[in-house]
Amino acid sequence: MFVKSSSTIRKVVIFFLIAFGMMTIHYYTNWFSSIEKLADRSIRPVNWIANIPLRIEGWADLRSTDRSVIEKENLRLKQESLIYRGQLQRMAELAAENLRLRLLLNATELLTDSILVTEVIGVSPSPQSHTLSIDRGLQDGAYVGQPILDAEGLMGQIISVFDNHSVALLITDNTHAIPVQVLRNGMRSIAEGTSDYNNIQLRFLSPTADIREGDELVSSGLGGRFPPGYPVGSVLSIEKIEGKEFLEINVQPAAEIDRSKHLLLVFTSQDGSRNGNVQ
Amino acid sequence: MTSKRYYLIVIVSLILASVLQLIPTSAAWLPWKPNFLLLMVIGWITFQPNHWGIGFAAFVGFLTDLVFRSPLGLHVFLFVFIGAVPYLLSGWLIYFNVIHRCVLVFILIIFSGFLSNFMYSVWGVPVGYGDVPLGAISSVLIWPLIDRFLVKVHEKRR
Repeated sequence: MFVKSSSTIRKVVIFFLIAFGMMTIHYYTNWFSSIEKLADRSIRPVNWIANIPLRIEGWADLRSTDRSVIEKENLRLKQESLIYRGQLQRMAELAAENLRLRLLLNATELLTDSILVTEVIGVSPSPQSHTLSIDRGLQDGAYVGQPILDAEGLMGQIISVFDNHSVALLITDNTHAIPVQVLRNGMRSIAEGTSDYNNIQLRFLSPTADIREGDELVSSGLGGRFPPGYPVGSVLSIEKIEGKEFLEINVQPAAEIDRSKHLLLVFTSQDGSRNGNVQ
Repeated sequence: MTSKRYYLIVIVSLILASVLQLIPTSAAWLPWKPNFLLLMVIGWITFQPNHWGIGFAAFVGFLTDLVFRSPLGLHVFLFVFIGAVPYLLSGWLIYFNVIHRCVLVFILIIFSGFLSNFMYSVWGVPVGYGDVPLGAISSVLIWPLIDRFLVKVHEKRR
């Protein structure tokens, strides 16, 4: 028994050293990025199998829904589509007017965005790592740093691209930060992830900052990664903590971070071919 | 049971655990998700310590790092640490009944959860220690199934 114990402890110590070495390398370098990319590629079939229950659920939902309910939903969607098309025409008119005014002011032309519909094919199982895999990759023109949205707001950005799938980092991941502005007064800040799917935090806002609970936040476009004007979230709570220089501001993300299955990849006219259309 | 069939069962069990680990879960249910890969490590080491030991725990830990997209080495460390306990106690564990093993699994999963959260907090990642027992409870609830399966494999192997 003692022989087994001593040899086991020796092995444990050796593997601890290896593990800590790996963690140090991972933390300070990107030497493992090729291994991680290879793993992402190899894990795709496992992700596909893991998504079978969701696909069955979707199929069963469709089968069990009454035809009349589907017809009613179809009618509602057609009406909604009509309303949105009307609003879009108004938007086009406003955009044209905005462009004319910007030209009069000699300001630079705003970039026009186009979008590509994508589907979530995998979600990180770790509560600490907020990433997901989508079914669009290099073949579809996806690129690292590309913003992704759902129907409600900004979800995050692509961090790895493969031939026909990509991995995206969500705005709630603790390593993610996004420049935002308050819609009401244009005040700028940075929203950082907190590893909580329902919460992001605004950083470095002094107690005198003009911000209120319920304020809507949109992407400011600073830094050039995220296009301006997309909804990021709304202010949930503002706290002044004794002894701290800045306010603690919690924001409820606008996007349904942990529920959305269909997402949109945003292409700006800078990115090339796609311009002002939906695919 | 032939060696080929036996190794196939081990590989399939690990693939199945990875699939179960990757099934998308909503944020509300995520803390309740059992750590299937860690359960498989505890199970195989408990019932087959002569075949599966610390190296096996390290390998599955590496696999888990890739599946979880966590910093490489984190789960190697955790799985080796946790796997060493059933390995050292394997002579006795096989004679315990399923309830005793459930208690041990609960303690190990709780410990693993706290250790994992501690490691993340060292890197500055916000963690919720309150969620740790939830995963341990769900792990204990499915452990009897894994236990029963491994007992059958163990008996056929003898």
